[in-house]
Amino acid sequence: MKKIFKYKHQITAYLVSFIAIGVTILPITWLFLLSIKSKGETFTKPPKWLFDPTVQNYIDLWDNDLFKDTFFNSFFITIISITLSIVIAIFAAYALKRYRIRFKTAFMQWLLLAYMLPEFLFVLPMFAIYQTIGIYDTYLGMALIYQVHVLPFSIWMLRSFLEEIPKEIDDAAYIDGCNSFQAIYKIYLPLIIPGIVATAILNGIWVWNELAIALGLTFFDSQPITVGVASFRGYASINWGGMTGSAIVSMIPMILFAAFAQKHIVKGLTLGSVKG
Amino acid sequence: MKQTPYFFLLPSILILAFTSIYPICYSIYYSFFNWRWGNEKDFIGLSNYFNLLTDKEFWIIVKNTFVFAFFACLIEISIGVFLAIYIDRIKYGSTIIRTLLLIPLMISGISVTMLFKVILDNMFGIIPYFLSFVGIKSNFFGSYDAAMPTIIGLDVWWQTSFVFIIILAGLKSIPNEPIEAAKMDGATEWEITRYIRLPMIRSLLFLVLIFRSIDTLKVFDIVWGTTGGGPGLATEALQTYAYRVAYSFLEMSKSMTVMVLFSIVVIFLTVIYSKFNKDI
Repeated sequence: MKKIFKYKHQITAYLVSFIAIGVTILPITWLFLLSIKSKGETFTKPPKWLFDPTVQNYIDLWDNDLFKDTFFNSFFITIISITLSIVIAIFAAYALKRYRIRFKTAFMQWLLLAYMLPEFLFVLPMFAIYQTIGIYDTYLGMALIYQVHVLPFSIWMLRSFLEEIPKEIDDAAYIDGCNSFQAIYKIYLPLIIPGIVATAILNGIWVWNELAIALGLTFFDSQPITVGVASFRGYASINWGGMTGSAIVSMIPMILFAAFAQKHIVKGLTLGSVKG
Repeated sequence: MKQTPYFFLLPSILILAFTSIYPICYSIYYSFFNWRWGNEKDFIGLSNYFNLLTDKEFWIIVKNTFVFAFFACLIEISIGVFLAIYIDRIKYGSTIIRTLLLIPLMISGISVTMLFKVILDNMFGIIPYFLSFVGIKSNFFGSYDAAMPTIIGLDVWWQTSFVFIIILAGLKSIPNEPIEAAKMDGATEWEITRYIRLPMIRSLLFLVLIFRSIDTLKVFDIVWGTTGGGPGLATEALQTYAYRVAYSFLEMSKSMTVMVLFSIVVIFLTVIYSKFNKDI
């Protein structure tokens, strides 16, 4: 009896987590099952549990040029966004760590504010200026406006990774005659590679999943996958295969990438204020 | 060189000025005009603000947004903290549990939308199908009473693990000594959680509260993707309203006025957060 009491907390804990995992995973599994059912079997009542899986929905998506384009658009926008933000953020993060900077607090607050501002605030002003300078509906334009979110995030993250490096290493580099660029390139960069990868992944997930700005600032040429997925939400006649398949296609890469950034996700979600 | 650090910060400052300061200034400036897409822009002073603040529809939308944010935050933080407290006790397999529970957070809002549109569909969805056995005829997105709770439910499914994962990390970082001491004194597990663990992570609870409040107030994807603000105005939120005003009614100035007012709320919350966060 005493032994059961000892394990009571463990058992309830497993029970609770089991329920939570069920609620999390079952809907996604159901969506996946629907996406590999053939058209006739999708919504039979009662639902068919045994069926011949088919990849027809995914083949249809691949043949759907509009959707395929959005997938690759998202891919390029994500790559450009994270490259731009990481390169710029490394220097900013280094400056924030290494030097005494006036208005440092104000700068950090500005970063936080830019990170938090509502998406739709950017849409109309950017729409106007992008039309004028001719980068409306381009990868560059999208990557540029996404910096308002990913750049502050990258600076916060990389700074918190740099802070973990002892100051002695930096001093040693100076004594050995490194200039700032060499110090960044030769000393810091190799030490924070895992941090850079995690930051890039978390940035990538945000960019890949962004919808509000993309709706406002793309028309055709650079529509990202979120808009592509949204295009299947018809009201009159619903393309269930497209809905289920496209949602799965847009989820899978991010779920896989997230696995690589596992260790740093908590740090990412709290802008570096909690170590994961 | 004394200028080096500013030289390093310059690219960031330029990009952030262009992507954050410029939109704010532009929005404030044109909120004083009566710009409709394709028409002349005339200066009309504070009329937009006056019209908006005396507009019944606008206040319904403000109320919707805050109702959504309040209940979504309340439920997410309750469930998230509850889960974290339990899963913190688990000795074996907590990594895999954590990984699985994190999945919704990696999914785009529009995919969450699609997922639940399929599952909750009146005709074909699996949940209405099961509910029909117990004689409930459900209409999750279409009925005036159910739409808002449904949207809140979507957000809870989507974002609860944000709370969970942060609080769990906080609980794991608590030193063991005070807990051991309390156990010696005969405190029960719940007393320890209530009087030692939660007070020790209160700064994290505050962070979660602010981050979730801002994020839920900004709700766009899951409303736009499911109900589009309907039925009627039942689920219209500030950001979807601003989108509709600009892209369906082409009233650019009005849309920007909404966003200026909304941004003030967000800035206010952010400033509160940074006042209490020593890291900055």
